[in-house]
Amino acid sequence: MKADSDLPMGVECAWPIPPKSSVADRVGLAVIAILLAVGAWQAGRGLWIQAKAGLAQVLIGRAWTRTLAGETAVKPWPWADTWPVAKLIVPRLGIERYVLAGADGSALAFGPGHAEGTARPGQDGNSVIGGHRDTHLAFLREVRPGDALIIERPDKVRVTYRVGRAEILDRRDIWAMQQAGPTRLTLITCYPFDALRAGGRQRYVLLAFLS
Amino acid sequence: MHARSHSSNWYDVFAFISLAAGIGLACGIVLGGIALLLSAPAYGAPLPDTGEGTLMLRVQRQAEDAGGASALQAPLVSTDVVFRVSGPIARARVVQTFHNPGDDWYEGVYVFPLPESAAVDRLRLQVGERLIEGEIRERAAAKQVYDQAKTTGRRAALFDQERPNIFTTSVANIGPRETIVVELEYQQVLRYDGNRFSLRFPMVVGPRYVPAGPLRVNDADRITPPVMRPGTEGARTNPVSIRVELDAGVAVAELDSPYHRIDVRAPGPSRRIVALADGATPANRDFELTWSPRAGEVPQAAWFAEEKNGRHYGLLMVLPPAAGGARLPREVIFVLDTSGSMAGASIRQAKQALELALARLVPEDRFNVIEFNSNAQALFADARDASPEAVRKATRWIGALEARGGTEMAAALELALPSGERETTHRVRQVMFLTDGAVGNEEELFRLIQARLGSSRLFTVGIGSAPNSHFMTKAAQLGRGTFTFIGRVDEVGAKMSELFAKLEAPVLKGLEVRWPAGVQAESWPARIPDLYAGEPVVIAAALDRLEGEVHVVGERDGRNWEARIPLTNGALGAGMGTLWAREKIASLLDTARERGSEDEVRAQVVDLATAHRLVTKYTSFVAVDRTPARPSAEQLKLGAVPTLLPDGWDYGKVFGELPQGATDSRFALVSGMLFLLLATVLLLRRRVA
Repeated sequence: MKADSDLPMGVECAWPIPPKSSVADRVGLAVIAILLAVGAWQAGRGLWIQAKAGLAQVLIGRAWTRTLAGETAVKPWPWADTWPVAKLIVPRLGIERYVLAGADGSALAFGPGHAEGTARPGQDGNSVIGGHRDTHLAFLREVRPGDALIIERPDKVRVTYRVGRAEILDRRDIWAMQQAGPTRLTLITCYPFDALRAGGRQRYVLLAFLS
Repeated sequence: MHARSHSSNWYDVFAFISLAAGIGLACGIVLGGIALLLSAPAYGAPLPDTGEGTLMLRVQRQAEDAGGASALQAPLVSTDVVFRVSGPIARARVVQTFHNPGDDWYEGVYVFPLPESAAVDRLRLQVGERLIEGEIRERAAAKQVYDQAKTTGRRAALFDQERPNIFTTSVANIGPRETIVVELEYQQVLRYDGNRFSLRFPMVVGPRYVPAGPLRVNDADRITPPVMRPGTEGARTNPVSIRVELDAGVAVAELDSPYHRIDVRAPGPSRRIVALADGATPANRDFELTWSPRAGEVPQAAWFAEEKNGRHYGLLMVLPPAAGGARLPREVIFVLDTSGSMAGASIRQAKQALELALARLVPEDRFNVIEFNSNAQALFADARDASPEAVRKATRWIGALEARGGTEMAAALELALPSGERETTHRVRQVMFLTDGAVGNEEELFRLIQARLGSSRLFTVGIGSAPNSHFMTKAAQLGRGTFTFIGRVDEVGAKMSELFAKLEAPVLKGLEVRWPAGVQAESWPARIPDLYAGEPVVIAAALDRLEGEVHVVGERDGRNWEARIPLTNGALGAGMGTLWAREKIASLLDTARERGSEDEVRAQVVDLATAHRLVTKYTSFVAVDRTPARPSAEQLKLGAVPTLLPDGWDYGKVFGELPQGATDSRFALVSGMLFLLLATVLLLRRRVA
């Protein structure tokens, strides 16, 4: 440590880690710093998605209360581009979810979404509701045939459906969204439930019929 | 290692990592919040219950199961086509074999395309050994005859025209494991352009976009057969076999089938026998056969005649000589279809074609680019000078476009053809429209073109494996331009150069046919369209006698052009009467569109069609077997024959997909934790060392 002796004493005392480490050492530190940053960012992002999903439902709940009081298309926050259209209740699992208008990515981040062009939840026809398997619709794997699914409509009427069957479909099997056939609720989420990444080809489609 | 020598402190490390994670989380929330705030205004809130156009897809589940009717149970259809080509005229026999593989009785309904210029004049139903000749009836009457046969258990076939290039064959009472054959024949004048004849046979009706609005398209279900999802076809490829017996009349120099592999035999210099090399092909793209006569053997004029019921019917083709001229400054409006049906191979072809066209502009030209799917938007507010910067900007803009969404073509045409008086400059205004024409509201668009064309000229470029040829040709005719088809990326260059030659060379205008004095003649089209480089004059005529010479006159670039063709020594041509009637009907329907009312021409068309046994929008073929086949106890099921998706199309982009049901949160969390863990391990190792 010859170099150390060249430094004025006072400086060494005031700066107890002299920056005299090797290049490899610095690279090592940099790698660790990058790993920490990326890790923190990724973990934060994951937590944020979950936090947003949970938090939003609380805000949407308030908008739903106003909807039940007679307002229409109540935005849960001022810049929202969606609004609650129904409340989905699964009594056996103690689940309550507010269903939003639109089943595109921007709505699904905050709640299960009702696919445009399909029957409104609780009305005649096929009402299609999509949602994420790792947030709002994670409970779907617990749902069993015969379970009751209750839809609360904006006019406070509650419609009860009974779960019929579940199917695993390709994402292009859009017949699942067709209107013909008995009045039903079609809940769609990604499959398999435990997949790590989004963007898979398969969909878990649960059909519940008017009881 | 450096001089620090104190032992590793677990608490320190843990605190550090917790802090990092905490900061990460905070960053995530803040950034996410910002992203949310920023992104929100970009989407307009979708209005509930807006009337949006759709693809009117008859979705069917394709996996066989207990519930619901399956497309897989519908009868199977295979098609065999034989063409006899003599000179510029083709006669085709299309044999459709319906086979019912199941145990139920079925009605098979097959929606399929034919060339837009096909004059279908014969239908025969073949049941076992029996052949039943079809009769031409008014559409509603034909349907009634068919329905009655259907309900009484007799075998019957009905053949309707939905569009000039979309037809439906319905076959009633196909018994279990039974096969019924329907045979059609049609006549057609082949396209001759740029020294090449081309024979085109479409095989599949691509899914059509149907804009919203109750009065715009009232037969959407007739033109949208169920479409099979790629990967689920199995044996249901609706196979087509093709055989062409070609007698070109002159020595054939080049023969080419750009989209299918073929086997060719040459029994003589002017004759060729062509068949598909693979025997049969899935019905998922147009077949095209082109040939060119040997140089110097191209006839400049041809006259074919036939006598029928005391009247002479003839077809006159005259090819004006090529002529160059000064290139005039132009204003070119490029319109690019970026709807979902264009996704995949089509949009690549279209973008490449557009890039070539942009590169062809000179700074004296003006231009603009319009793209449309569910909405239409223009690159510039107004056409601007084609400076290198403007062209570069346009090229970048086009490069970034993606194909998805609806096909609101009317909006794009309105942008490209502004109504009202435009400043009349010395510029030629040309609209180049690149699309697959996958729409169901053709008539509405034709009316729009007719009303707003003004002094503009419309050039359609049909893109992809199964373009809507009726839309391409009729839009170009009404737009007083020409049409081009591009079916593969590697033919973009050649096809576009041909089009550029047409856009830049002077047009042959004011064309007129003068029949010899004393000859009573009725010829169609009544008004001969302007001709672009390489195009011939084609006229169908009915005459009371054949004598003297017919004169065709026109004017190009200030110079007069004239051709005289003797009527007496014409070649014998079978089916000229059919072609004449077909041409007259098309002209009558054009007039009806112009006037906004079909009532006046309807009776005329029905009379003509009945006299010449032609299928039109008002008349259909029906054939009924006398003996009942289906026992009344047996139910008849409806089997809409599913079609393939045209080659190169992207199913998900056309029809949409089920909602996506997962986020990346789990992956983000797991990968984040792994990174943090790795960092921790490295940090600890440093301390220990």
